[in-house]
Amino acid sequence: MSTRREFVKTGLLGATSMALQPGSAFAAAESKPPMRFIFMHKGNGLFPSVMVPPTLSDKESELEQRKQPLELDLDKHDLPEWMGALSNHKDSLTILQGLSGKMCTTGHHTWCSSLGVYKANERLSSIKWATVDFELAKLFPSPFEHIELACFPDGGGNPRGNIDGIEKGFSARGPQQPNYAFGSPKIAMQELFKSVSSDKSNQLNYQLDREVLEFVARNESSIAAQLAGLEKTKVSNYADSIESIRTRNKKVDAMSELIRRHVPALQDKYYSDSISTLDRQTGHVEVLLSTLVSGMTNVVTFTVDELGTRYTGVPGVENENINQHDVGHGKNVGSLSADQVRERIRTHHMTLIDTIVTRLKSVPEAGGTMFDNTMLFYFPSSGETHHSKGTEWPFIVLAGRNANLDIGRRYIRLPPYGEQGHKTLGNWYTTILNASGNSTDHYGDFDTGLTHIDQKGPIPEFFKA
Amino acid sequence: MLAFILTPFPLNADEVTAGLPPAPADVQRVINKYCLDCHSAENHEAGVRFDQFGDLNLAARLELMNKAQDQLFFGLMPPTDADQPSATEHDLLATWLRRELRAHNASNLDEKLREPAYGNYVDHRRLFDGSVAHKPFTPARRWLVSPQIFHERVNAVFQLTGRARQRSFYGVTNPIVLPDHSGVRYYDTTVLDGGHLLIMLNNAKWISQKQIFAAIQAGEDRRKLQFENPKDNWYPPDSPDTFVVIVRKESEPTEAEMAAAIRAQFNCVLQRVPSEAELERYLPLLRLTIRKGGNVEGLRQMFVSVLLESEFLYRMEFGAGEPDEFGRKKLSPREASYAIAYAISDRVPDEQLMNAANEGRLLTRDDYRREVLRLLNDQQTFYDEGDPSLNGIHLRSHRVTHPKLNRFFREFFGYANSVKLFKDVSRSGGFFDNAGRGYTGTAGSVTNEADRVVDFVLTQDKNVFEELLTTDLFFVLHTKNNQEGQKIVAEWRRAYEGLIDTDWKNDTEQALLDNFEEHKDLFALIRITDLREDRRKNHVRDFERFMAFFEHTFGKGQTPITFPWFFHGGQKFRYSEIYNLPPVPGAGPLEYQGRWSRGEYKTPETWDYPVDQPFNVPHRKGLLTHPAWLLAHSQNTETDPVRRGRWVREKLLAGRVPDVPITVDAQVPEDPHRTLRERLDSVTSKQECWKCHQQMNPLGLTFEIFDDFGRYRTAETLEHPENLITEGNGRTGANVHETRPVNAKGSLDGTNDPALDGDVEDAFDLIDRLAQSDRVRQSIIRHAFRYFMGRNEMLSDSQTLIDADRAYVESKGSFKAVIVSLLTSDSFLYRKDLNELSHTQLEKKR
Repeated sequence: MSTRREFVKTGLLGATSMALQPGSAFAAAESKPPMRFIFMHKGNGLFPSVMVPPTLSDKESELEQRKQPLELDLDKHDLPEWMGALSNHKDSLTILQGLSGKMCTTGHHTWCSSLGVYKANERLSSIKWATVDFELAKLFPSPFEHIELACFPDGGGNPRGNIDGIEKGFSARGPQQPNYAFGSPKIAMQELFKSVSSDKSNQLNYQLDREVLEFVARNESSIAAQLAGLEKTKVSNYADSIESIRTRNKKVDAMSELIRRHVPALQDKYYSDSISTLDRQTGHVEVLLSTLVSGMTNVVTFTVDELGTRYTGVPGVENENINQHDVGHGKNVGSLSADQVRERIRTHHMTLIDTIVTRLKSVPEAGGTMFDNTMLFYFPSSGETHHSKGTEWPFIVLAGRNANLDIGRRYIRLPPYGEQGHKTLGNWYTTILNASGNSTDHYGDFDTGLTHIDQKGPIPEFFKA
Repeated sequence: MLAFILTPFPLNADEVTAGLPPAPADVQRVINKYCLDCHSAENHEAGVRFDQFGDLNLAARLELMNKAQDQLFFGLMPPTDADQPSATEHDLLATWLRRELRAHNASNLDEKLREPAYGNYVDHRRLFDGSVAHKPFTPARRWLVSPQIFHERVNAVFQLTGRARQRSFYGVTNPIVLPDHSGVRYYDTTVLDGGHLLIMLNNAKWISQKQIFAAIQAGEDRRKLQFENPKDNWYPPDSPDTFVVIVRKESEPTEAEMAAAIRAQFNCVLQRVPSEAELERYLPLLRLTIRKGGNVEGLRQMFVSVLLESEFLYRMEFGAGEPDEFGRKKLSPREASYAIAYAISDRVPDEQLMNAANEGRLLTRDDYRREVLRLLNDQQTFYDEGDPSLNGIHLRSHRVTHPKLNRFFREFFGYANSVKLFKDVSRSGGFFDNAGRGYTGTAGSVTNEADRVVDFVLTQDKNVFEELLTTDLFFVLHTKNNQEGQKIVAEWRRAYEGLIDTDWKNDTEQALLDNFEEHKDLFALIRITDLREDRRKNHVRDFERFMAFFEHTFGKGQTPITFPWFFHGGQKFRYSEIYNLPPVPGAGPLEYQGRWSRGEYKTPETWDYPVDQPFNVPHRKGLLTHPAWLLAHSQNTETDPVRRGRWVREKLLAGRVPDVPITVDAQVPEDPHRTLRERLDSVTSKQECWKCHQQMNPLGLTFEIFDDFGRYRTAETLEHPENLITEGNGRTGANVHETRPVNAKGSLDGTNDPALDGDVEDAFDLIDRLAQSDRVRQSIIRHAFRYFMGRNEMLSDSQTLIDADRAYVESKGSFKAVIVSLLTSDSFLYRKDLNELSHTQLEKKR
């Protein structure tokens, strides 16, 4: 639970004017809450070297340098400076190093790879199966099933288009089924919270929208009923999609009171068409928190940035429009070196995570807090660096006490690529899925370069005894 | 074990009451002989066993039968080292599997074979040898609109024609995304899904708001209007009167007014009148929404509901009238008008086509020919940019008379995919620029130049396929047409020669002041038209820049490029090196944003610019050696011989390459001392890999005479720190590494012409042979068929393909002749309801 001081701080510094945190949908002690998952991924790589606590002994440093297995108690170490915002959450924190992801698309852009563990590209046909976030969403059903928020790239590579709109995201619902993400807090607010709008005209429009949807659903279903084979699929898919939105709407209506209590009250700047990248991220975090706390979804994927996402509002170089590709190639921005720019961006990401965790810790749930039932992952979409090869895939994990994993308060470096005991992204996601109730033997593609290692299955050492 | 297979399906299990009949005895014998050894009992391989067939429920049986059908069809089973069934046995088993699966509407192979990647599985020889007697038809279908057609349909909703048509709509996201592989991508197999719906909900909202806004503001002064979002200040110029009546009425509209509004919206969105049944459904909805939300909001909700009709996103082609003796129905005149319009353009039918349909003049093959020829010969109506997505600050897409027709070749070759690549600029030595938002980079520029080559060849319309494969006439940095370019160069020469004796080099400003009055006309040619003091600095700068530029071009006996480095955006036009041409004169180092380009003339050899284009570019032969194609079929840092070879095999030789098996690590090992070819050979020469790679490597490796940027080369750079000789700054020069001679030898097989098949020296040799091949010509015809029909060819389309091929040959290589042939073929004219047929067949069976 948060202290009063923390709570006040959250309320004042947060982007919203959110008052006292009401309980979650599972506030009562007798109901078992679902697990929540937050996947927060970034572009341009995440250097393994910046993940290392600065207080390692010589021996530990030497092991770290050689990328040999290492496990440290974070209580005995300082966090890297840029992770400072997480210092209050050390008990729940894991810095996980040494995973590889060579079975993913690596390099500049990776599409669904880092969440699906396969080589993905912009072609729908490359989407082999549902990404891990969707697999987890199936285990913990919710009205919206899954919500994806993104700071879309401005240029090149990954999905792009209207960066303020709803566009193809980085998650996949199933084979060849891309998910769609909200590109700005404004569009996310409009779409996700329209059912509980306080404005009478909006309420009326919402009701009328529903009438129309029902009408269209009836129309299309009756057309589909007269068809067969592929022709039937061409219409029934559409009709089913309308029907599923209607079903979702009904569920949302049933929980409207709860949603209403958690609608983010974003300041005007978060609705601006010229919103800075940092504000866009902060606004998205508020939406993320509201959808989780209200129970609209149990899984949120947040593309905090991608290689093509231009950065504006970075402290020290606020007026620069930063091209991350240039930063990836070591170019200075204003007075800052590329590494300093990277660090400032990461530091901001950590404040976002702090906001999420602190807020969830302040929400009572089933005799504890909502954070007890939450796992947050912060990781690169493309591996260890700008031109990544996938030999490393660093993770920051924040896991509540009800997560079935025993990895908290630790810096863990797994055996390096190619050596016995080495683990892949597939092993890691299998571990999370198994711990959450999905008993799959293995999630993700195998690395065919690692034929001498048994790559299948979870990392058993991570399970709670 | 056989007994299990023979066991009829249990009739008491709910899910299997439909039951598959037991396999006939002769089929069972084939399975027993060739499958059971490996797929039975405890040691069953790949998790597949046939001995428990009788215990499986219907779904599991169908899944197993689908697996068996796939393996058999793709020749993967029985394995090559096992006994093989005879052709009769093979057919027996395949026919049984297909029949039973189709009876349950569960044949995955049928679905697969409709997809673009499986088009070549139809036997090429039989398609063209005249042995197929079936009458051609296209299955009755809904065909999802293309991204371009969707956009034009939105234009049609707002009733925008001619110059009023919009290039984009602020609040509309195109819900249609085509796959991005080379080859025909727009097929009738795509289905609407939840993703489309999500986007369409937003689109419908925006479109309906604009329709309402136009109705409310009808007749008002547009200049006085206020918009909530200043960026979104467009709205349609006109609104149907029926909408205006309702939004202006203070009381509830009458039944007749509402019916008129519904008809008008159907006309805007679906371009047809609603049926009585539809009207009966829509009227209560409109009445309800008006009562709840008022006239304006109620009307808008009706707009939304029509916009959300799946028909808005589909093309409907079902045929009408009585079926002929082969069960085929001709397209209705209305359907025909859309089919023809969408084959030649992306727009809804024009007035003449509509009239022809309405007046009974779109019924016969001759009617089709008349309209097709009329549209093909129309040089104005469709004249537009080939690909507006190339447009940016520095580039406008080349304009062509029929963008839809040119698009076939850009999709077939797939060269437009070059813009999706990211390259390390420094590796190019600075001339290459990546795409950014609003700028498609060097790849976009060369793609536009490939578009010009295609258009040039199509305009000649002679030996089109051969020319596209072998032409050495290219367009490079051709920013002005020939006539305009000649004029500019002549004027600049006059300016240079008239001002050369001034003291511009030592005291530019004084030279300007001293000579301006006397040579006003010459200064005007270099953009100096006055001596305003507030512009003096710019004029002096321009005078110096022009004269220095002229000195290093005219002064050296060369012709200057007509878009020099100091023109706005000129820094982006300095990629002549990608064609192995000398650098553009004056192009200095290129900073990522182009800011550092300063006009340096240190390069000893610069490009003598050919004003008249296309011109002969050495070391090039056709589109397969165009930098756009080479870029599109390369990786970020290396060439891609496998993909290039696969392209030739599938697109030109009508060949097949199986998908990469999931167990294969399709990665080339890294080794700083070996060429890509050597590294590729080291992993693909193994027997199990060579089985597929022999279809690709001998073709694709011939293109190793080009690097991954598309530059011709005789030696391959071994880019690795170990091989570094000198370090470049990345802006004016790349790192210099050790090199190895290029080995681009390969071999051609698959033309079935002994005079052409055989070892080849390099890509040039390969291309020369391909261009002479009947098989290659027919393969391109097959792809053209797919493009215009939106589907894979079937054996029953044989006559259509033969006719199109003959039209090409007899017309001496006219692509227009191919189009006319295809669009007047039975495959285009007739539709057959396959589902109806299968139901009938089932009935007969019962």
